[in-house]
Order: sequence, then structure tokens, then C-alpha cells
Amino acid sequence: MVALPDLPNQQGWSRRELVKVLAGGVFAASGVSLMYWLAGPRVQAQTLIAKVARYEADLATVLSQGFRELGVTSQEVKGKRILLKPNLVETSVGAHHINTHPLLVRGAVEAFLRLGAANVIVAEGPGHRRDTLEVLEESGLTDVLREDRIPFVDLNYVTGYTVPNAGRRTRLRTLTLPALFQEVDWIVSMAKLKTHHWAGVTLSMKNLFGVMPGIYYGWPKNVLHHAGIDGCILDIVATVRPHFAIVDGIVGMEGDGPIMGAPRHAGVLVMGRALPAVDATCARIMGVDPHKVRYLSQASDWLGPIAEANIRQVGEPVASVRTDFALLEAIPAQRGLRLT
Amino acid sequence: MMGLAAGRLALEALQNRALAGGGFADRHGGRYRPDATAWAVLVLAAGDTGFDLLGPARSRLARDQLDDGRVSIAPDHPEAFWPTPLAVLAWQDSTAHRDPQTRAIRFLLRATGRHWKRRPDDPIGHNSALQGWPWIAETHSWVEPTALSVIALRSAGFGEHARVQEAVRLLTDRQLPSGGWNYGNTVVFGQELRPFPESTGAALHALAGRVPQEQVRRSLDYLAAQMGRLRTPIALGWSLLGLGSWGVFPAGARSRVFESLNRQEQYGSYDTASLCLALLPLLTPAGLARVG
Repeated sequence: MVALPDLPNQQGWSRRELVKVLAGGVFAASGVSLMYWLAGPRVQAQTLIAKVARYEADLATVLSQGFRELGVTSQEVKGKRILLKPNLVETSVGAHHINTHPLLVRGAVEAFLRLGAANVIVAEGPGHRRDTLEVLEESGLTDVLREDRIPFVDLNYVTGYTVPNAGRRTRLRTLTLPALFQEVDWIVSMAKLKTHHWAGVTLSMKNLFGVMPGIYYGWPKNVLHHAGIDGCILDIVATVRPHFAIVDGIVGMEGDGPIMGAPRHAGVLVMGRALPAVDATCARIMGVDPHKVRYLSQASDWLGPIAEANIRQVGEPVASVRTDFALLEAIPAQRGLRLT
Repeated sequence: MMGLAAGRLALEALQNRALAGGGFADRHGGRYRPDATAWAVLVLAAGDTGFDLLGPARSRLARDQLDDGRVSIAPDHPEAFWPTPLAVLAWQDSTAHRDPQTRAIRFLLRATGRHWKRRPDDPIGHNSALQGWPWIAETHSWVEPTALSVIALRSAGFGEHARVQEAVRLLTDRQLPSGGWNYGNTVVFGQELRPFPESTGAALHALAGRVPQEQVRRSLDYLAAQMGRLRTPIALGWSLLGLGSWGVFPAGARSRVFESLNRQEQYGSYDTASLCLALLPLLTPAGLARVG
């Protein structure tokens, strides 16, 4: 049989897989169990890796191309209200490796508007700083928000609404989310590619800690730490059910993340609909085995796939962009994570 | 003149957020929130204005007070009791509200966070056994709620209480080696973290007159060095209150406050708590309240 190229389509079946199914009859005739043959890996999610060397690139176009390859169409986005949630924990002048870069936020706003989104807002509840405006100014995001007239909502001080904890991985029976979530259609996690000294890594899933309003969870959001960081990551993702993830890996952070680590240039953006798959792909790029990251291994096959066999990787292959981020032996959460 | 006009407009905007049933909205056109109400009371009392709004605001705070004396962010979130010290401050000097203030003080003297004895291999650098006050029930003690509670209890005459004394020790323990405070961590996995102006201001205010100035010299220097760049209300307000409580009044402080208020043209109107924090240094340059 002539080898066929793997061509992704929106349903996740490749041409090769379709041929395999149709050829099932051949297998049956030869005595080989079709069910055994079909019981192999099944693609459950797609992620895209785009190589981007610098923040000054045309990020809106990179993201737009990414949307196309991942099957995000204007039909799906047109008229939708989009909320972008970047990672803004705290700032230090010139330290662009801590937070989601403002130019990527700008690019994402434009990319969603190109698809016909009704509006796009940026929202965040920084976990350490009480003065969110100071964080916006020092990070440079204020300039982008002002120049592009992008609305910003400080999630730390918004009124909340309480829902049952859909994840139930911690003792928290309910979660209080920003009431704003009832007024948007898409929630997009715009994380930074970083190591983390308690969670191992912080990517699109951990980024959602920042949606929990500080007036109910504290500064830091200590309610979540005491309930268990890994469990809360899962609970929040299961309850919020975000629609998409974009991870800023152009310059990420290695070592003692999420604040005090060193910049690490990986030159990538990673995107996808299934956050565990996005995080697993990011981990592999960082030289981290996602199966060894506790919250990711627990998310697997529940919130989304993390196994390579179950993720269709489009764009750049992981191997071509792998950039081993420094992991510190002195930090227990980072021990034994290296991808071999 | 533009500065004075900005201040006057801000006070008017604050008074316009008064609610019909008493209390203040959390923002322009917003809903009642106890912290916003308490901050508004402090501003109006310090500014000798809006007297007709003070009584109803203080009474509104008392209406939502829980039986154990706490004042929580919302009735359905009793665990978020961090507005309690703000309410204590707001009720200060109001004989009509002596009872709710007394109950709130009793609650603060009983309540604390989660603490543990620090292990030798603990990656965090501070003394986790010292008791202060948390933001939320069943969580650790952190700098700002502890500082606010110290300020409130000192103001109410409980400055020598054992809880306040331990809280002062906690705050000094959480001071960063290089100066300043953040939310309440110092060194984690061997790395000293960075200070924040708002946390530093709050901690300095709580410690004013309780520790020798030399003990907080680096923090005062850090904060003074930030003044050239700070223009956002929470960081600027707490910084000025913190410095002012130590008798340090940076040159040009008033104009910085007016600049901050004028930035509402860019950011939209500030939420009530932020607006109040910007105004308070103009009205009480030496700090929030009498401290004992």
C-alpha cells in the first residue's frame, strides 16, 4: 500500500486512519482482529506550535494562521464575546519573561477580531499585587490597552457568582467565579511558558488561578493553596471550562519560576482548544515529561489528553523546538521531571 | 488649581456613590460593599464633609455584621472577613456604633489564620508560627490584613494587647532583608523576593512608633525611592500613608495624588476603595487614625 501523508481535518481523523478503517475488511479476511487494530491510539485533541523568534513579529497573523490550522473559523467566532486572560502575577521593570507579553495580547485581540468576534476584553486578577493598575503600567500592557482601546477588567474586585465545584478534586464544594464570565462566550487562557516552584510548571491551566477574585480568595489566593494547588488547577479548569489556550513561549522562564527564574528563549507560541494537551505539548518543548507533572497526569483522560499518541501536533514538531528549561534539584516539585 | 479641582471632584464623586439605604457602592454605578463603605467613611470623616452620609454608612456596616462580630465582604462569604478592621476604623469616634465596634474588636482578638512551626528544611524564609490575620478564614496570615488589624486595634486602644504585639513581631519578621514588604513572603527556595509599594506602606503604617526607625530604615528608603514613579492610587496612597506615619512627607506628594486622580481620564473612574486611598494622604498625611 502506498504511504499516505497525514492530513488533519477538523474531526481529527487523518486520511491514513480512514483508509485503515476501510481496510478493516481486509484485516478481517486475513484473520487479524479489526477491533484490536482499531484499539490503538486515538487522537483526541490538536495543538499547534508556531515558531516565532521575536515579539515584534506579526503575531496577529501567526495566531490567525494557527486558528485556521486548528479549525477555528469565523463561523464559530463571529459575534462572540471573547475574554483573554493573560498571566500578570507581578512585575519587574524590563523583566518580560514573567508575564504574557503585551504584544501577544495585542495580536490575540486582533486575530479574534479578524474572525468577527463581537468584542474582545482582557481580564486578570493578579495573585500577589493589590494594585492591578501598577502591574498593568509596569508590564507595558497599559500602553497596548490604551493605544488599541482594549477594555480591561480587574478580576480581583469584581462581584462573583458561586457554582458547584465541577472538578471535586479538592475539598472546595463551590467556586466563586467573576460574574463577568456570565457575559462572555469564550474564555481564552493566555499563559506564559514557565517553570513553577510548587506545581513544576505553570502553563495554560495554572494560569486560570488568576480568574478567582482576590476579594474572595485573598492575596495570594491562599484558599487555593491550602486546598491543594494541583487539585485546584483541575477544579478550576473543570468548572470554568475554558475554550482555548495560547501560550507565550517566545521568551519563557526557567529555574525558580514563576517569578524569580531566569529568561529562557524558546521561540514558540503554542495553541489549542484542549488545555491539558496544550500544557503537555508545552511541557515537552521545555524538556519536561508531562506524565511526571502531577496536575497534568491527573488531568489526563479526564479533562483532556496528554499522551503524544492522543494529540495531533500541527505546525512545528516538538523535537525541532525542544528547549530544555533548567529544573532545579533544590525544588522538590521540579525533581524527576526531565523528559528523557 | 487643576490639582485642587481634581481633589474636589474626587470628593464629589465619592459622595455621589452613597447609596439610598446607607453605605457606598464599590464603584460608580456599582453595588454596596463593606470595604468601600469603610474607606469612604474614613475619607469623609477626615475631610470634614458629607456628615449626613456618615451615620447611615456606619449603620449599614453594622447591619451586615455577623453575630460573632466579623464584617465579611458579602453575607454569603463569611469566610472573607478581611473588611473587619476597616469597619473598626470606620466606627471609631461614633458613640452610636460603639457596640458593633466592640463586637468587631472581640472578633479580631479571637480570629487568626493558619500557622505552623517552621521546619528546618522549609523552603519559605519567614516564621510561619507567628500569628497575625489572614485575608480569608483558614488561610495563612499575610501582611496587609495584619497591618490593617494592627492599625485598627491600636486606634481603638488595644495597642498593648498580646495579639497586637505578636502581629508587630510578624510584620517585622516579614520585612524583606533588602527592605520593603510584599504580600508576606520573604525568601523562598533561597531567593529574596521583591517588595511592593502598597504592602510596604501598609506595614510601615502599622509599625509607626512601635519599632525603632533604624529597624525599618531600608524600607523607608525603598518607598521614598518609588515616589518618583508611582501614579496609581493603591500603591501611591499606601506609600504616602506609610511614609507619612513616620513623619516623611515626600516633596510633590500632593501633585502626585492629583496626577493619579487625573489618570481617571485614561483608566475610567477608580473603584471606591482606590479613590479613597488616593484621597486619604491629602486629608490625613500623618496616617489613617490615632494610633495607640
